Amino acid sequence: MDTSLESATDEAARLRTCLNDLISIMALPALWAGGEPPHIVGTLMDALVGTLRLAFVIVRFNDPEGGHSIEMVRVSESWGGPARAREISAAIDSAMGEAPQNWPSRVRVSIRDVELSVASARLGLDGELGAVATGSQRFDFPAETERLLLDVAANQAAIGLQQARLLSEQTRRANESERESRLIVDNIPGLVALLSATGYVEVVNRQLLEYFGQTLEELRQWGTNGTVHPDDLPHVVEVFTKSIASGTPYEIVQRLRRGDGVYRWIQNSGFPLRDTKGQIARWCVLLTDIDDRKRAEAELRRAYNSFADAQRLSKTGSFITDLVGDDHNWSEEAYRIFEFEPATKVTVQRVRDVIHPDDLPAFESVIARGMTGVNVNFAFRIVTGSGAAKHVRGVAHVVERVAGRPMFVGALQDVTETKVAEEALNRAGAELAHVSRITTLSALTASIAHEVNQPLSGIITNAGTCLRMLDAIPPNIDGARETARRTIRDGNRASDVVARLRALFSKREFTLEPLDLNEAAREVMALTSNDLQRNRIALHSELAEDLPVVTGDRVQLQQVILNLLRNASDAMVDVDDRPRELVIRTEREDGSRVRLTVRDAGVGLAPQSLESLFDAFYTTKSGGMGIGLFVSRSIIERHHGRLWAEPNDAGPGATFSFSIPQKADGVLNTVPARKTS
Amino acid sequence: MTVTPSLVSIVDDDESVRESLPDLVRQFGFAAEAFASAEAFLSSQFVNQTTCLIIDIAMPGMSGPDLQRELANRRQTIPIVFITASGDKTIRSRLLAQGATECLFKPFSETALLDALNMALRMG
Repeated sequence: MDTSLESATDEAARLRTCLNDLISIMALPALWAGGEPPHIVGTLMDALVGTLRLAFVIVRFNDPEGGHSIEMVRVSESWGGPARAREISAAIDSAMGEAPQNWPSRVRVSIRDVELSVASARLGLDGELGAVATGSQRFDFPAETERLLLDVAANQAAIGLQQARLLSEQTRRANESERESRLIVDNIPGLVALLSATGYVEVVNRQLLEYFGQTLEELRQWGTNGTVHPDDLPHVVEVFTKSIASGTPYEIVQRLRRGDGVYRWIQNSGFPLRDTKGQIARWCVLLTDIDDRKRAEAELRRAYNSFADAQRLSKTGSFITDLVGDDHNWSEEAYRIFEFEPATKVTVQRVRDVIHPDDLPAFESVIARGMTGVNVNFAFRIVTGSGAAKHVRGVAHVVERVAGRPMFVGALQDVTETKVAEEALNRAGAELAHVSRITTLSALTASIAHEVNQPLSGIITNAGTCLRMLDAIPPNIDGARETARRTIRDGNRASDVVARLRALFSKREFTLEPLDLNEAAREVMALTSNDLQRNRIALHSELAEDLPVVTGDRVQLQQVILNLLRNASDAMVDVDDRPRELVIRTEREDGSRVRLTVRDAGVGLAPQSLESLFDAFYTTKSGGMGIGLFVSRSIIERHHGRLWAEPNDAGPGATFSFSIPQKADGVLNTVPARKTS
Repeated sequence: MTVTPSLVSIVDDDESVRESLPDLVRQFGFAAEAFASAEAFLSSQFVNQTTCLIIDIAMPGMSGPDLQRELANRRQTIPIVFITASGDKTIRSRLLAQGATECLFKPFSETALLDALNMALRMG
């Protein structure tokens, strides 16, 4: 009974010990949590040596990093300690084999003639992680409880190793991705920072460190160390904090202090990087120095504003136009002048809609000419959406051709105020001109009347006397003959008066000089442009570029041109069903002559009048004297040239032309050439 | 008994008038004398015998109206018919207001001249 009782008591004590040991082994993972494999294995071995009172314990396991196996050995002090590790290892090799997964679970091993019981347990289901072997001098080792403890411990170690392997794998991957990120981040030509999910600055790239001239530690104090411009700080903190809390990207334009102490404008954009579960893992922050850009923008804005101011003050708008493609780029002021909404798409039709109806023909004519790719000048009235009537004038020049289409750059000006003043001035001027013309005309008429009336008076008196002498009884034949003779003489005198009249109109000394007919024509056009505009006549000039210099009397030739333009203008005064177009053209003629042509779209010429046109006092105009063309012809004849008129081939109107030789030979020889500079 | 025809003196710087007009006036039955200027007439012997004067308005030196004033100064009341090649019709009323009998604009018809001369002689 005592024996059985004693053994029962022993059994209970053994079980208690086993349970205690089991509990401490079960607690092992807490000791090695997160540790490296050697640490796990070391902890395991220490626990086994302690609980099982072993002679030695040996663990061979595969290093999860490198793949090669590692052996760790613990030898109890009573068995000689670590010094005998190699000896024991070799004995295990020869008794159990080198490969731990093939180790038998229990063998007897003799080391230095001492018999030992060796029990092994695999790490992992098939020993893929390795195995642990424990040696004891006790013959009955391992007892059932010891085997249990060994297996449980091995199992715990296997789990620990596996976790360590996973952890190391993760770490490796993380390191790899960290390296990659690092590589990317350092190579981005910008300033990049990676923040934790809570906004803590974890890493920044090299460029960022260099830019701010701070260490990572210093940068982490960005909220307090003056890196952010004090004026911007409250706003930045607010936006940043809100964004981190809500997980939404932010973008702030702010000033940050560069390494050299200068605050620069920076665009700061931050956006969250999420893991596979959609949780925010990190924040990526990109800082872009936009100071230069901002400065350039400000500069541009200033320049634009002053440009816009200048346009507004001068009421001048500018435009770039692809007329053929009907694509127009207008400046703000151009929009303002036309009172178009800023978003309006400008088209020719849109502009046409506001052109004053009376000026539509002139407008169409400008558009048609522009379509052919020539520079144009224009002047017309518009009636804007608000009902305001404005005078607009401008120029458009072809600057280049894109795909064969002319690209115009031009300016248009609101000249309403000038125009109104000018019109008042012009009216006054025109009235004055009219008065002076009338005055001149009446003086001229009186002079002509006086000159002609004298001989006429003589003719009538003599003829009357002559008749009376013939009627007398007896007839006074001698007297009659004498009075008839005087009648003839007075007739000749009248004719002389006309000849003198011709001379009167060219009383100025005939002065020859080399002259540019184009320039002479341009001066006349400038003189008459107001008159023409008042009569709503569109004057187009087609002046030949290769026109040779001619010799002539500049003033007289200009009188002729002026006369032709006035006639053409007058001929169109009553034209309302077509554009009042006037074309002045110069061209080189064969045989070193030059020709100037003035074409109108006026009432035209009756064929029978073609010859009498140039006679003195011939006129179709109610207010005219009919001297202009007569004098013009005499001037052109003095230049050894020719002046003629013809009806237009196509369309209504007439064309007057004169042609003069380059050198007015003969005349040149009789008048000493003037000095020319 | 001899009837001396009334003397009509003509003052005009225009030669063709001096040639033609006296002939016509004589055809009317008057005696006629022509002078190239007012000065020539005034210094002639015919001033007192002249019963009617035909004077051109615009002449170099003394003009027609100048001559009219000079005669008035000399208390010579000779009826005057002015002739002119000017087209200024307003001149006529002015001259008539100053005592002229008539003002004829060249070219004038012989009837108009005869009527004027008859009127002048009646007045005279």
